[in-house]
Amino acid sequence: MKKTKREKTYFDSVHLWGRLWSIGALIALLMVPTAICAHFNAWPKLTEIMVPIGKVMLLNWTVAVVEVIAYTPMLGAGGTYLSFVTGNIVNLKLPCGLNAMAKANVKANTEEGEVISTLAIGASAITTTLVIAAGVLLLGPAVSVLKNNPVAAPAFGYVLPALFGALGAGYFRKNIAVSLVTIAAGVITLLFSPSLGVGTLIFVTIVVSIGSALGMFKLGWIK
Amino acid sequence: MTENGDFKTGGFMYAVAIGIILVVVAESVFFMVKSWRHGKKLGISKETMKNTIFSSALFSVAPAISILTTVIVLAGALGIVLPWIRLSVIGNLAYETTATKLTLESLDSRLSLSTDITDPKTFGAVAWVMTIGTSFALVLLPLVCKTIQKKVGGALQKNEKTSRLGDIISAAAFIGIIAAFVANAINGRQTKEALTIGDAGFMSICTLVTAIVLSTVLETLCEKKNLKKLEPFAMPISMFGAMGVAVVLNLVLPEAVSTLTWWGNVA
Repeated sequence: MKKTKREKTYFDSVHLWGRLWSIGALIALLMVPTAICAHFNAWPKLTEIMVPIGKVMLLNWTVAVVEVIAYTPMLGAGGTYLSFVTGNIVNLKLPCGLNAMAKANVKANTEEGEVISTLAIGASAITTTLVIAAGVLLLGPAVSVLKNNPVAAPAFGYVLPALFGALGAGYFRKNIAVSLVTIAAGVITLLFSPSLGVGTLIFVTIVVSIGSALGMFKLGWIK
Repeated sequence: MTENGDFKTGGFMYAVAIGIILVVVAESVFFMVKSWRHGKKLGISKETMKNTIFSSALFSVAPAISILTTVIVLAGALGIVLPWIRLSVIGNLAYETTATKLTLESLDSRLSLSTDITDPKTFGAVAWVMTIGTSFALVLLPLVCKTIQKKVGGALQKNEKTSRLGDIISAAAFIGIIAAFVANAINGRQTKEALTIGDAGFMSICTLVTAIVLSTVLETLCEKKNLKKLEPFAMPISMFGAMGVAVVLNLVLPEAVSTLTWWGNVA
């Protein structure tokens, strides 16, 4: 009985602070474009940004709903609030939290799991932030030099194939059928309209990838 | 209006970045202190908690370097500070790249990720789209996190099939994003008006294939030889390796080949 009361109090407190920090972080984030536009006295017209904002919202907000539902039970309350502010959940915070709970031999959604997961994700967030900050201060001058170098400059023109080839290889290997169908759909769409923006093409590829994945899951091709 | 892109890396932008980073660090410290105190009440040993912090920090160094190297992708257009801010909060490279490209396409079809943005209005527009586009989770969490943890969490843990379906949809959505960029490298062009470097052709295919092959080889090597330390570097090595191949090919190949796209040669 005592344990139930303590559990309730602690989780309630984490959720209360988590809500306050999330709202605070949201305000701080919105201050970034506000400060940029105010400082440079350069406000874009609302009509100019409505279209891209609408497209990005449709894309990212749907993914956000799936991510919040999928990751919250695994990360615990404190870990979830921290992870969604600091980002890089799939590639860093989630494995870090799960790894720490496994090492400490505790389970997610218990008080012990909550403590270990939050400590791990907090340590991960601080480390990542500091490493990126230190790196940016060192990388900053190098980027300017490379961009203006006639030999290195062409590489920037092909940075997207390099990035998404490297990033996608692992996913493609693990989900070969879904990947092939989706890339083929993208290529075929571009046959009809080669200069169709990636922002629009993404809607085609996401519908195809999720649709084909669900179909293959139902047919038992994906387990 | 500023005529060059220097404003993107000026003192003001660094001040904004430091402000945001302080918020992130403060929140992390707050929750860690709260958890540490509660851990002591629960009887979790100090050693266990210290080990958790230390090993998680170590665990995060290499992936952080990997995230850092990807800042360079957006730095070509946006300077280094805004990508730094974005990849320190909520940021995810695929989403940020998509938001940037979408905004640039929408404002001016001649702009791309390799164009140095010199107009603060365009820069501000990108910052707005990136911020609003990725902030929904922060709106959603205060409303639903508690309910999900209590109800959905339990249900998902009990029902493995539902949990697996969530993983599949999440992975499929990510494949959808990546596939759009891959298809664009195979068969897309940036504008109708003129051919530009980066349009699909010989070089884009070579760069794409090199990145995929390098990444596959390195990831397979890590799996087979159990090279855990190399794992986080596989992606950045592959990306920079492919960019390096693009530079070398550009130097050694005849111009007629290196500028070849599927619609003719870049002038």
